[in-house]
Order: sequence, then structure tokens, then C-alpha cells
Amino acid sequence: MDVDFAWTAVAFILTLLTLSYILGDNPLFRLAAYLFVGVSAGYVAVILLFEVIVPRLVSPLIFGSPAEKMLALVPAVLSLLLLFKLSPRLTTLGNPSMAFLVGSGAAVIVGGAVSGTLFGQIRGAIQPFALSQSGSGLQTGGQLFGGLILLIGTISTLVYFQFSARRKANQQTRRPAVIQVAAFGGQIFIAITLGALYAGVLAAALTALIERFDFLRTAIQTFLP
Amino acid sequence: MRAPISTAIAIATGLLILLGAFLPIPVLLPIRQILLSWTIPVAATAGLIAILNLLSVHWRKLNSARERDYYSIFLLLAFAATFAAGLILGPTDPDFQKIVTHIQFPVEASLMGVLTVTLTYASIRLFQRKRGWLAVLFTASTILFLILLSGFLNISENIPFVKDFLAALNTLPIAGARGILLGIALGSITTGLRILIGADRPYSG
Repeated sequence: MDVDFAWTAVAFILTLLTLSYILGDNPLFRLAAYLFVGVSAGYVAVILLFEVIVPRLVSPLIFGSPAEKMLALVPAVLSLLLLFKLSPRLTTLGNPSMAFLVGSGAAVIVGGAVSGTLFGQIRGAIQPFALSQSGSGLQTGGQLFGGLILLIGTISTLVYFQFSARRKANQQTRRPAVIQVAAFGGQIFIAITLGALYAGVLAAALTALIERFDFLRTAIQTFLP
Repeated sequence: MRAPISTAIAIATGLLILLGAFLPIPVLLPIRQILLSWTIPVAATAGLIAILNLLSVHWRKLNSARERDYYSIFLLLAFAATFAAGLILGPTDPDFQKIVTHIQFPVEASLMGVLTVTLTYASIRLFQRKRGWLAVLFTASTILFLILLSGFLNISENIPFVKDFLAALNTLPIAGARGILLGIALGSITTGLRILIGADRPYSG
């Protein structure tokens, strides 16, 4: 049997097993899901070993210069300590390694959120008000109006997630009236945004379903003599 | 104070990386680079430990007397076969790459396809249970953007008013998405800073 034919048959069977979920949760779907998780875990383990651990940890320790060996010693010790996380009794020995990972991860996330999202989105929000870039009066007005709607939408969406309120004696805790009005506007923008995102996901999922049905059709044509 | 050594490591590492990114102090830059280069192999080891933990959980489920899960044998066998093939062939081998193109991709694409049915079913059930004005607005927005994404209205883009109207409609979700993104960024910064000042210690378990 041709190797490519066998691989196509594997893909065909796995597609059918996975699509069987349309009929409800069943043993065939579970079989495909467990196989998928096992294969993915094996693939990720191989990639981590060959692409990260061997070139960045093992090779410098064995073949590197004395300076490289010294530099590789710290992550090697941290990695060894991390292995203690597998044992419930010795798990605390892995805490320094986890602390190192959490500390560096938090710093990278804070840096990324500030320079990537915060500055980028604020720049995007004020860009429509840079009128020197625009042309005629009508275009300027349109640009300003669009920028204003975007700004109101952004601020009201942020205000919607502001849940703190002052408690008054013998009264129900409520947000101030201005915040409530802005939050109402925010709800409208959030509903529109989530609807648009939902439509995007639905369209992508539909495209994938059509592609799979097309694959099944092509595969059946291949199998037939 | 709970876990003082771990807390000191987390604060020192985090602050050195963060200050190296924002302050123009020459000595901080190589320190930041060294710390980040250490993080990558340690994170990879953490990933391998997570996989080992997954395997041990399924090994226990397979050997459990009360609730034995026979599907776990397929997961363990699939892992063993893939891992052995990867070790023998190497990750760049075209035959090993067929695991991605003929096993992972078909299952992932099919799961995405199944999402069409489950999402539609879930949205119908949600609409049946919650019939407020927000549900109506959400549904209207979904239908409108499905029509826009289908490209059905592209034919009327030559008419000036329709073109401007469609452009205005497309900008509406940007406002909400920008607000949500800014909220996520502010939340991430708060959580990150709480770790960097030692108020939260998710590593001292």
C-alpha cells in the first residue's frame, strides 16, 4: 500500500471520528480526542527537547566554553529544581524555579501590555483627531465624528467594567448616575463587538467545515478505483 | 513572611527585566537579556513537566480500580509512538512532519468545523432563555456582520453613501474591542505589578 494513501486514510478516519460529535458525544469522538491529545503532547515534547532544551541547555553545558558553561549552569539548576514539582512531598524545592518563571513572566507581560496594547490602543484612539492628515472639510468632519464615536465607545466600554460603588446607610449600593449612563452605552458597544466577534468565529468555523467536507469528498474519490 | 527566597527571586528577576525594558541604563540591558535567555529553557522544562504530569494522570486513570478510563491507553500509546518517532527521525524530518499534516491538522480543522454546529445550537438556546434587548442587539449584530463577512454587500461598494455607511458599521465593533483590549491590558498590568511587589505569590504552593 502506498504510504501517502495510508496517511490520507488516517486523516479521513480521524476527520470522520471528530465530525461524529455533530451527532452528540460518543466513543468514536472520544477516541479521536484522546489520540489527538497524545500525539500533540508527543509532538510538543519532541519540539521542546530538540529546539530548546538541547541547543540552549545541554549543548552549552557539554560543548560550550567555560563562560558558556557558567551561564548555562543557572538554568540547568533551576530546571533540575523544577523536576521536584512532580513529587508532592518535595514540591517546595521547585518553588524558586517557579518564582523565577513567574517573576520574569510577569515582567514580560507588564512590558508587553504597556508598550504593545496600552500605548498602541491609545495611539489608535487619538489618531482620528490628528486633523493635519485629512483633506476636505467634509472629510475632516467625518473623520472627527468617527473618532468621537470610537472614543465614546472605548470609554463607555471601560466604564462598564467599573463596578465599585459607594455604600450609603439604609440604601441599596448603586453606581453614580453618570457611571450608570456611560455603562449603559458601554453595554451597547460590547453587544455589537461580541456579535461581530461571534460572526467572525462562526464564519471561520463554517469555512473549516466546508474544507473538511471537501477533503472527505476528495479522499473518497481517491479511494475509489 | 511566606517563602522569602522565592519571593526575593521573583521580585528581583521581574524588576530587572522590567527596568531593562524601560530605563536607558546600559548595564541593565545585558542583565535583562541573560535573564530572558535563562527563562526560555526553564519554561521549556516546565512544559515537559506538564506533559509528564498529563501522562501520570492518565496512567493513574488507566490503573484506577474504581473509575477506569480505557481511553487513556490510546493517549499513552499515541504519545509513545509520536515521541519515539520524533527521537529517531528528528523534528524536521518530512515523515515526522506528516504527523502534523495528517493527524493534528485534520482533527483541529474538524473540531473547528464542529464548532459551527455547537455555536449555532448554543446561540439558539441562549436566545430562547434570555430574551432581553441585549440578546436582540447581539443577534442583530451577528447577522449583520455575517452578511458583511460573506461579501454579499461588496457589489454596492461603488455607491458612495453605501460605501461610507458600511465603513461606519465596520468601525462600531472597533470601539468595543478597543475598550475590552484596554481593560485586559490594565488587568494584566495590575496582576503583574502585584506579583512584582510580592503582594501575590502564585509560586509558593
